[in-house]
Amino acid sequence: MTSLTSLVPTAIPQEDEALREGVRAFLKEATAKIPAQLRARSWYGFDAAFSRELARRGLLGLTLPKEYGGGGRSAYARYVLSEELLNAGAPVGAHWIADRQSAPLILKYGTEAQKQFYLPRICRAEAFFCIGMSEPNAGSDLASVRTRATRNQDGWLLNGQKIWTSHAHNCQYMIALVRTSGAPMDRQKGLSQVIVDLSLPGVKVRPITDLTGDAHFCEVFFHNVQLNEDALIGAEGHGWEQVTSELAFERSGPERLFSSIVLFDEWLAFLRADKNPSPHSARLAGRIAANLAPLRAMSIALTGKLARGESPVVEAALVKDLGTTLEQETPALIADDLGSRVSRSLPPDLLSTLDYLTEVAPSFSLRGGTREILRGMVARGLGLR
Amino acid sequence: MEHAVDDLFSDALRRLLADECTPAVVRSIERGGTRDKLWGSLEDSGFLNAMLSEERGGAGLSLAASFPLFELCGAHAVPVPLAETIVARALLAAAGLPAPSGSMTLEAAALAIAKPGENNVDVLLLSACLYAAQLAGALQTTFNLTLNYANERQQFGRPIGKFQAIQHQLSQMAEHVFAARMAAQLGCQARLTRLSPEAVAVAKARTSEAAQEVASMAHAIHGAIGFTEEYDLQLYTRRLYAWRRAAGSEGYWHEILGRALLARQGRTIDLLREVSNIE
Repeated sequence: MTSLTSLVPTAIPQEDEALREGVRAFLKEATAKIPAQLRARSWYGFDAAFSRELARRGLLGLTLPKEYGGGGRSAYARYVLSEELLNAGAPVGAHWIADRQSAPLILKYGTEAQKQFYLPRICRAEAFFCIGMSEPNAGSDLASVRTRATRNQDGWLLNGQKIWTSHAHNCQYMIALVRTSGAPMDRQKGLSQVIVDLSLPGVKVRPITDLTGDAHFCEVFFHNVQLNEDALIGAEGHGWEQVTSELAFERSGPERLFSSIVLFDEWLAFLRADKNPSPHSARLAGRIAANLAPLRAMSIALTGKLARGESPVVEAALVKDLGTTLEQETPALIADDLGSRVSRSLPPDLLSTLDYLTEVAPSFSLRGGTREILRGMVARGLGLR
Repeated sequence: MEHAVDDLFSDALRRLLADECTPAVVRSIERGGTRDKLWGSLEDSGFLNAMLSEERGGAGLSLAASFPLFELCGAHAVPVPLAETIVARALLAAAGLPAPSGSMTLEAAALAIAKPGENNVDVLLLSACLYAAQLAGALQTTFNLTLNYANERQQFGRPIGKFQAIQHQLSQMAEHVFAARMAAQLGCQARLTRLSPEAVAVAKARTSEAAQEVASMAHAIHGAIGFTEEYDLQLYTRRLYAWRRAAGSEGYWHEILGRALLARQGRTIDLLREVSNIE
């Protein structure tokens, strides 16, 4: 299909699949007392102690080289681990971004000193990272960022503002996309990535309460923040290419399929207790599973491509659009099913889980690139742009 | 290595179908014209025996390795039971029976090898598996025709494919084609006589769901020309509709899969793992 390569079912190697059993046993115990409505928060759930426990078990930085404190395992091993964490609804939000994209970015573009400083800390769950991309006037139009790092004798002077930065108030570091030369009309040119220590003077973080009452995303203000010379990650002026390659990792992973899985499993458990579920409910369950199965297989096939050093940017966009659509449909379909039982009382935890996911579901196709942006990328991959 | 051999087979069949199963031939056979020439070419080519062992004069292809052949049957709107006969002959051979020449239905093969008191071939399951693979091919051709048309058809002074509304529909079509093809491949990962009902349910349900969506968008983008007999789109969209309904629509297989999911304990992920298990 034009420049899109077709995907074939890909087996997870035995030695990586072998990781699953131990992880599952640990998670069964670790999440036993967490109610479903909290497990449904998935990679938005912040629990530093839980992340440190994973680190103690050698499960952070699984794919990083051992010399930096990592596990030296394959991308498939990390896929298995992520899948188990997400399906258990484990509170992985503290380390999720650092583990998923900051560490691989530092490994790929960082200097030896940066790798030796940050990577072991990430693996020990001592350094949590957030992503500074969006700004008040740079959302989907990311290339129009205005936050600027200006070179001075001590390194870089940072001024500007980021917004919608998840967990900035709980993280030690941000990797920010900033302008180091030129003006906003220069677009992708003149952008760079810098690592910002969020404890520096001049950094102000203000959480924003969302419609569910949670406060996970933040406004972050930079006022004359003095960064060292080595705050720059990668090459100056190459920020856009670096961000783009980061996004392929971000978009095709299992977190784009399983955001509603805790609700789905809780709803199935409710139906099973019912003994004789209606054909309508069974059909709904089958419809969701029939869409999940090929998406999972596609996500694994893309894991293989990424592991081989390919950059399946367009295929990743396609999987994310399909995956988030399903994640959004799931609470809507389940709400209809449960709402049709007007004369029955329903389990409160199931309803709270449903309410939470119903309210946050619109964000699934906003975070990490909106549906419209992704469809535009697929169209470009098809040669239409 | 095996993959390269598979490619060799599918490339050969693609060439044969491009020459011998043109849209004109498909139309002629649909109007009641003779199928002897096309069938003769297929018989001579040896593809009908692709799944027989090499001792029996076949190529020894597994079901998974045969997927590209079934997909091509859909992609070329093959108006004779090519996929079905390949599998019917394989069923007979597996039971130690000689395959008769000519086309053969799955029902006939199942009847021929049935033994009282034994688990016999589930014709519906097998048939659904084959329709799913052929749907994957017809979906791809429908998409290709539509993409080409959007690049060629000019309105308001430019190709309609330059308009964002059209681009987003084509992106959605591509997504359905991709997901459906993966689902169809999952259905074919088992041995012929040990198909997984859950994997086939996924395969047929997802391809059927895609069939309706992709056909609708293909016709929307083509406009009036897509409704004419002389334009090729109808050869594929009519099959999408028919094959969606055949051997169980998505609603039928959703219910089968949903009941299987509800009959087990534990998490959905384990069903997903079984369904995407590669033998």
